[in-house]
Amino acid sequence: MNRAARMGRYLGRRALLAVPTLLLVAVFVFGLIRMLPGDPAQIMLGDVADPTSLAAMRHYLGLDRPLPLQFLTWLGHAAKADLGRSIATGEPVATLILERFAVTASIVLSAVFIATLLAVVGGLLAAWRQSRPIDALIVGLASLGLATPSFWLGLMLLLIFGVHLRWLPVVGYVPLRESFAVGLSYLVLPVATLVIVESGTLIRTLRAGAIEVLGREYIMHARAKGVPERQVLYRHVLPNAFAPTLTLVGLTLGHLLGGAAVIETVFNLPGLGRLIVDSVLARDYPVVQGCLLFTATVYVAVNLVTDLLYPLFDPRVTAT
Amino acid sequence: MPGWSKTGFPVQSLLGFVLVGLLLLTVGVAQFWTPYGPLAIDLNAPLAPPSWRHWFGTDEFGRDVLSRAMAGARISVGIGCATVSCAITAGALLGTLAGFLRGWTDRVLMTINDALLAFPGMLLALGFIAVFAGGEGAIVLALSVAYLPSVVRVVRSVVLSIREREYVEASRVMGNSSAYSMLRHVVPNALPQVAVLATNLFGWVVLSESALSFLGVGIPAPAPSWGNMLAAARPYLASAAWLTIAPGACVMATLLGVNWLSDTLLERLRPGSRS
Amino acid sequence: MLGKALNKTPREILAVVLLALATSGVAAAPSVLRARLNSDILSSEPGVLRDENTDAVLLHVVEGLVAYREDATVGPLLAQRWEASVDGRVYTFYLRPGVRFHNGAPLTASEVVWSFRRYLDPATHWRCLREFDGGGLARILSVEAVDSLTVRVTLDRAAPLLVQTLARADCGETAIVHPSSVAPDGRWRAPIGTGPFQFSTWKRNQFVELTRFAGYSALPGPRDGNTGGKHADVDVIRFLVIPDGATAEAALLRGDVEILDGLLPLQMSELRGEADIRMDVHPAMDCYALLLQTRDPVLHDPRLRRAIALTLDVPALVKNITLGTGEPNASLVPTASPYHASPVQSHIPAPDLAQARRLAAAAGYRGEPIHLITNHRYPAMFAAAVLIQAMALEAGIHFEIQTLDWATELDRYNHGDYQAMAFGYSTRLDPALTFDAVIGDKDRDPRKIWEDPRARDLLLQVKSTADGDSRQMQFDRLQRLFVNDAPAVILFNSARIVALRKNVVGFSGWSAAQLRLWGVRLQ
Repeated sequence: MNRAARMGRYLGRRALLAVPTLLLVAVFVFGLIRMLPGDPAQIMLGDVADPTSLAAMRHYLGLDRPLPLQFLTWLGHAAKADLGRSIATGEPVATLILERFAVTASIVLSAVFIATLLAVVGGLLAAWRQSRPIDALIVGLASLGLATPSFWLGLMLLLIFGVHLRWLPVVGYVPLRESFAVGLSYLVLPVATLVIVESGTLIRTLRAGAIEVLGREYIMHARAKGVPERQVLYRHVLPNAFAPTLTLVGLTLGHLLGGAAVIETVFNLPGLGRLIVDSVLARDYPVVQGCLLFTATVYVAVNLVTDLLYPLFDPRVTAT
Repeated sequence: MPGWSKTGFPVQSLLGFVLVGLLLLTVGVAQFWTPYGPLAIDLNAPLAPPSWRHWFGTDEFGRDVLSRAMAGARISVGIGCATVSCAITAGALLGTLAGFLRGWTDRVLMTINDALLAFPGMLLALGFIAVFAGGEGAIVLALSVAYLPSVVRVVRSVVLSIREREYVEASRVMGNSSAYSMLRHVVPNALPQVAVLATNLFGWVVLSESALSFLGVGIPAPAPSWGNMLAAARPYLASAAWLTIAPGACVMATLLGVNWLSDTLLERLRPGSRS
Repeated sequence: MLGKALNKTPREILAVVLLALATSGVAAAPSVLRARLNSDILSSEPGVLRDENTDAVLLHVVEGLVAYREDATVGPLLAQRWEASVDGRVYTFYLRPGVRFHNGAPLTASEVVWSFRRYLDPATHWRCLREFDGGGLARILSVEAVDSLTVRVTLDRAAPLLVQTLARADCGETAIVHPSSVAPDGRWRAPIGTGPFQFSTWKRNQFVELTRFAGYSALPGPRDGNTGGKHADVDVIRFLVIPDGATAEAALLRGDVEILDGLLPLQMSELRGEADIRMDVHPAMDCYALLLQTRDPVLHDPRLRRAIALTLDVPALVKNITLGTGEPNASLVPTASPYHASPVQSHIPAPDLAQARRLAAAAGYRGEPIHLITNHRYPAMFAAAVLIQAMALEAGIHFEIQTLDWATELDRYNHGDYQAMAFGYSTRLDPALTFDAVIGDKDRDPRKIWEDPRARDLLLQVKSTADGDSRQMQFDRLQRLFVNDAPAVILFNSARIVALRKNVVGFSGWSAAQLRLWGVRLQ
C-alpha cells in the first residue's frame, strides 16, 4: 500500500480517536466547573442578592434545569459549532474564543518559533563544544531563563521598557491586521518574556539529545570518513537529536496555546488564557466549557502534527 | 581548562551542590526555628527595608521576610518534590507501558492522556482546593494530574526510540520476555532523559505554584510559599522591591542549583558520554 | 469687493481663509477623556444586568425622574417636582419641560409611562422589581400619564422611601429611556436616554465610548450628586477596560489614560510622588466588617463575640489596611452619612484584652480554632483577616484563616455557611438599606447576619418614615443593640481614591463612590 493511502488511513483513525478524547474533556469540564461552589448568579448580584432575585437570575440563566439536561443541550449545540453565549457578557462564545485565540496564537506561535530556533542553534553549539566555556555560557543562560518566574520577568521588563525607558507601550492591544508596526510593538515584550522563559528547557533538551547522539558510533564513523563537521551536525546529529525536543515543542505549544494566562494578565492582553482564568473565577460556565473544548481540540491537533513529524526525525519509528 | 576547580568538578556542579545543600539546610532548619515567626505581625514596622534586624526586610504587616522565605522553602520545595515524585512515578509507568506495548494499550492510554493534557492546571487546582478544602495536598494533586500527561508523553517517546535499537531486538530474539527486555535495556537507557525531565519538571512545578498563587488559586495565605509571597509583593514592585527580590531570588537559586546538579548527574550517568 | 474693502489682494484673502479653515480644523479635534474601568460593563441596559461599573457608565447616558444629591438626599432630575397624596399612596411627578432624548424626541409623560411599565414587566428582569411587586416597599398598581408632562404613580400602600428607591444607582436610577432603545421584537438595542452623553461605541472588553449630547438641558446650579450641573465639558469619554492594577498604573503614568478610579490605598501612596498625577480622596459609604455566625455552636454566645470585638485595636488595624485613608467605624451607618453625627454612632470602643479573656472564659471558650474566611480579590478583606487573627491571638482566641476565591466565599456567605468571615458591603447611600441587607430571619434568608426580633422591629420603623430626627433615633437604638449583640464587628468605611493626570480639571468624587465625568475637562 502506498504511503499516501497509509497516511490517509492514519489521519482518519487519529481523527476518530480524537472524538472520545474530546468527549472526555467535555464531561470533565462540565462536571468540574459545576462542582465548584458558587455560581454566576451569585457573583453577578454580589452582596445585593436575596433569595428571590437569585432564583430569578438562575432561571434567567437556565441554571435551574437538571444537570444532565444542561450537559446534553450544550453538547448538542456544540456539535453544531454553537457554543452558546457568555453568562457575563451575552456574547457568542465561539466568536469570543476565536478573537481571544488570535491574540494568544500570535504571541505563542512567534515565541515558540523563536525559542525553537534558539534551541537548535544554542543546543547544537553547546553539545558540539561540550564542557567548553561556550557550553557553560549557553547552559547557564538557559538555566537562568527557565528558572525565572515568567510574571516576575514580565513585570520587570514592563517596568524597564514600558515605564522607565518608554520604548514600548504598556496598555492595550492592537491587532496586527489593523496596524502592523503598532501591533508589533505591543507584542515585543510578551513574546520576549515567553522566549526567555521557554527557550531554556528547549535548549537543554536539545543539547542533551545532541550530546547523546554525538556519542554514537555512526558519528565517529562519519567523522572518520572525513565528512565536514557542519554536515555531521546538520545532517546527522540534528535530525536524530531533535525528536525528543520536538515532543517538548509540541507540548509547549499545545500548553501555551491553551492560554498563557500569566503573561496575558501581566501585559493586559485579551488572550485565551486570561479568558479561561476570568471565566472560571466568574463561574461563566458556557465560556469555560467552550474554551476547554476548543483548547482540547487544538491540543489534539498539535499532538497529531507532532506525531506525524516524529518519523521524519527518527525513521526507525513509524507513525502507525 | 577554564572553570574547573581543583577537585575536578566544573564550577557549575560545585555551585549546584552548594545551592541545593543550602536549600536542604534551610528546609531542615525552618522546621524548628526561624528568626521570627512567619506569621508574626508587627504593625510598627511595616514595609521596612532590609536591615540588621530584618535581613530581608518586612512586608506590609511587619512580618519578617527572611522567616517567611525559610518557611516558604519548606512548602514550595515540599510541593515540588511531592508533585515530581507522583508525576514521574505514575507517568514513567504509564509511558513505558504505552511505548513498549503499543497497540490498544497505547491508544487508550494516549486518549485519556490527551484529555488530561488539555486541562489547564488552574482549573484543576481550583477544583481540588474547593473539593478537598484547600492546602498543600490539593495543590500537589492538581499539579501531579496536570503534569502527568507531559511525563507520559515524553517517557513514551523515549521508550519508542530506544525500543527499536538493535540490542533490544537482539534481546528479544534471544528469547527474553518483553518485561525483562524492557527492564534490562529500555529503563536504564531512558533514565538520563527521565532524570532531565524530572529536574525540568521540578522547575515547572515550583513555577506553576507561583503562577497559581499569582492568579489567586495557589497556597492559601497567610501560610507563606514563595509563590504567594511573589504574588503579594506585586503591588509593591516599585516601592518595596525587596519583597519581590527575596522570593524571586529563592525560586531562581533553587532552580539553578537543581538544574546544575542534574547536569552533573546527567554527565555521570550517561554511558559513553564525552567529558 | 471684499478684497478692495479690506485693502487686500485676492491671494491674501485666500491665504487668510485657508488659515482660518486649517485652524478651525485643529480647534475642532475632539477632546477625549480616557478613564479606566477595572472590568467591562455587563450590559448597556440600565438596572438589569449590572454592577458598579455598569451603573457608573450608564448614568452618564440615562437619567431618572429623581436622583441622589451630593448629601445623599434625593432631588429632582427629570421630574422638576413631585407630590404625594395625604395617604401616601399616590405620587404625582411633574416633568421638566424642554428635555430631549438623544434622538431628538421630546421627553413626555408617555415615555415615562412606557419606561416604568417596561421595568415592572417581569420579562425585563429589572433589579428592583421585587421592591415594587408587593414583596418589598409597596406594589405599584398603576403608572399613568395625566397630561403630557405629568405622571401619576399609584401604590397599594404608603411608601415614604419611594423616591429614595427610584433614585438608586443599582436600579439604574429607574431611568427614562426612549422606546426606540428597544428593537421591534423586544430585544434591547442601545440606551437612548436624556443624559449629557450619548452611548456611542462598545467594543467588548476593550472600551466603551460616549459622545457629548449637544441638546442636553442641565439643571441649573453646580454639580450636585447625580442631579444638578451635568455639563458635558469634553466631546468624548472613552472608558478603557484595564483589569490589571499594575498595568493601569503604568498606563496612567504614560498618559494613555487620564483617570484611574477605585485605586487601592497602596496604589495611591505609589503614585503620590509623581509630578503629573494628583489624587482625589473621598470617604465612601461602603462597609468592611468581621461577620460572626450567631448560630455557630462556638460563636453563639454573644459574650464570646463581644470578647472578639474587644481584642481589636480598630484604629491601628484600619490605619495599616487603608494607609490612613479609611475611617474606623463601629456602626453600620457610614461616617460620611448625615446620620453618623450622634455620639452613639461615632463611638469606637478601645481594646481591652483582660476583659476579652474574661468574657471568652465566661462564654465557655476553650481555645478551639475558629475558621475565618477571606479572599484575595479584595485586599482590604484579606488584610483585615490577617490582622484580626494576630490581634485576637493575644487574648487567646484562635482564628484559622481560610483563603477562598471570591465566588466560593460569596456562596458561603449566601448560605450562612461560615464561622467567621471578613466581608465588605458595597456602597449604599441610605443606612436603612444596609440594615435591610443584614437584618432578617436566617431560616428564610440565610444571608442575614442578625436575627434579633427587636432589630427587625426597629428596621420596619426606620423604613416607614422619612423624618430625619425619628430616623436618627431608630439608627441609634439599632446601633446600641448591635454592639451588645455583636453579630458582626464593623471595622471601617473606606475612601474612594481617584488618580488623575494634572491636565484633568473639574473632577470631584462623592460619597456614592460613583465616577462622574460631567463638569470635567482637559486643559
